[in-house]
Amino acid sequence: MPTLSFAPLLHGDYFTWLLTGLRLSLLLTGLTLLTALPLAVGLALMRLSPRRPLRVVGEAYVEAVRCVPLLVHMLFWYFGMPELLPAGLKERLYAGNIEVISAWAALTLYTAAYMSEDIRSGVRAVPAEQMHAAMALGFSPRAAMRLVVLPQALRITLPPLLSQTLNLWKNTSVATVIGAAELMYQAQRVESATFRGFETFALVTVAYLSVSLVLTGLAQWAQHRVSPARGGR
Amino acid sequence: MYPTRRRLTQSLVALGVSLLALHAAHADQLDDIRKKGELVVGVLGTDEPNSFIDAKTREIIGYEVDLARAIAAKLGVKLQIKQLAVAARIPELQQGHVDLLAASLTHNKEREAVIDFSLTTFVTGQKVLVKADSPIQNLAALSGKKVVTIKGGTQEPNIRKAVPNVDVVTFDTGPQAFQALQQGKGVAFVNDEVSLLDQHAKLGAAKAGYRILDQNISVEPLAIGIRKGEKRLKEQVDGVLRDLEKTGDADKLFVKWYGPDTPLKFPKRTFKIDSDKVEG
Repeated sequence: MPTLSFAPLLHGDYFTWLLTGLRLSLLLTGLTLLTALPLAVGLALMRLSPRRPLRVVGEAYVEAVRCVPLLVHMLFWYFGMPELLPAGLKERLYAGNIEVISAWAALTLYTAAYMSEDIRSGVRAVPAEQMHAAMALGFSPRAAMRLVVLPQALRITLPPLLSQTLNLWKNTSVATVIGAAELMYQAQRVESATFRGFETFALVTVAYLSVSLVLTGLAQWAQHRVSPARGGR
Repeated sequence: MYPTRRRLTQSLVALGVSLLALHAAHADQLDDIRKKGELVVGVLGTDEPNSFIDAKTREIIGYEVDLARAIAAKLGVKLQIKQLAVAARIPELQQGHVDLLAASLTHNKEREAVIDFSLTTFVTGQKVLVKADSPIQNLAALSGKKVVTIKGGTQEPNIRKAVPNVDVVTFDTGPQAFQALQQGKGVAFVNDEVSLLDQHAKLGAAKAGYRILDQNISVEPLAIGIRKGEKRLKEQVDGVLRDLEKTGDADKLFVKWYGPDTPLKFPKRTFKIDSDKVEG
């Protein structure tokens, strides 16, 4: 067995490659959170709507997205979907960083489906009396949802949402298949160039693990501080 | 169990494990292959005509598969083909998941540090495919442009060396990278000349829409990969290859997979299987 040596990876180009990869992975996670959360709230409200067509559409979306592996979503949003766009827009998109944009789209739609289910559970966990009381005080159903129920629901949902964020962070690694130069992609590049696969992936594991632990810590903190379960006791 | 006894058991287990590892390290791979009666050869399976899936039988066939078959026959063992991703080739060999690599593997100085190579079995250049109506006429014009290629091979370092300012996006397989070029997600596709010619030939009528730049970005001697230090196995492999060359079978194999009757239409072989030296 060849001896382990981290030295070649820790200075010069290879380390810079890994850092650029880490930066893009973090950026993808952040961007996706920004877009997936509002979409997830919208989807959850659709599934809770009193109107049947809205419920059906929301449910169909969640089931369709959750039943297909993320890898397939990635390939579809890179090789499939953009081809259907009008020629002018397509060219402009392809001239830019289409790899990152496709990965962002796939991650957003995928993550939103999971997050919407958590948010829906959160809304259902708010006692129905809250809604009734708000309406008795003269709130419209929509205002009651927006001002009374949703804020409580999001607090309940925070720990599971952070757990979904953890999944999202790890899922960014799938973007390597469509050439988005995130951490996994750069790691494979370093491995091919140095033949130090074990060391490279050890470093990458540490990077994934550190960010994941921060998210897990946040989730625990949220559980203790923000979740209404504690306040109620 | 008492702590001391537990520690003793642990050390004994550790000792046993390390002895096993030592034993495995000392056993000659050639003996192992003969003992298990099977030669496991890693191939790509996505790189016609070196190794690819036969549309009729759904089996992996090709030039390198035939070479592997000749080696297995000489050793008197069964051949087992294992399909590998480009980037996984060398790690799979190092970790002993395959006995040999016949996977469009370039023999270069960097790789000599980690694995051994047989005699050179094929020589190809790496070239660049662009759309016919593209303004790109030579390598220099690729500067600052996005090109697509395969992960984990020599294509990416070579094109970066040939065109320092190029933007490279890599994919798991050749067909995926080619699709990205077809869709216009890059302006050029870098690959081994043979693979490019093959993919170009497969386009049929759409062939006219693409052209290959004249300049080579590198010359790539392909060889069979052998785990480092397995001298006896290398002797056997090289022996088989030398025999193939001597009897003229090597030439027949070339004509069968690359010759005038194939889509690639190479007029004749321009190399001989006789050396395992490469230029740095």
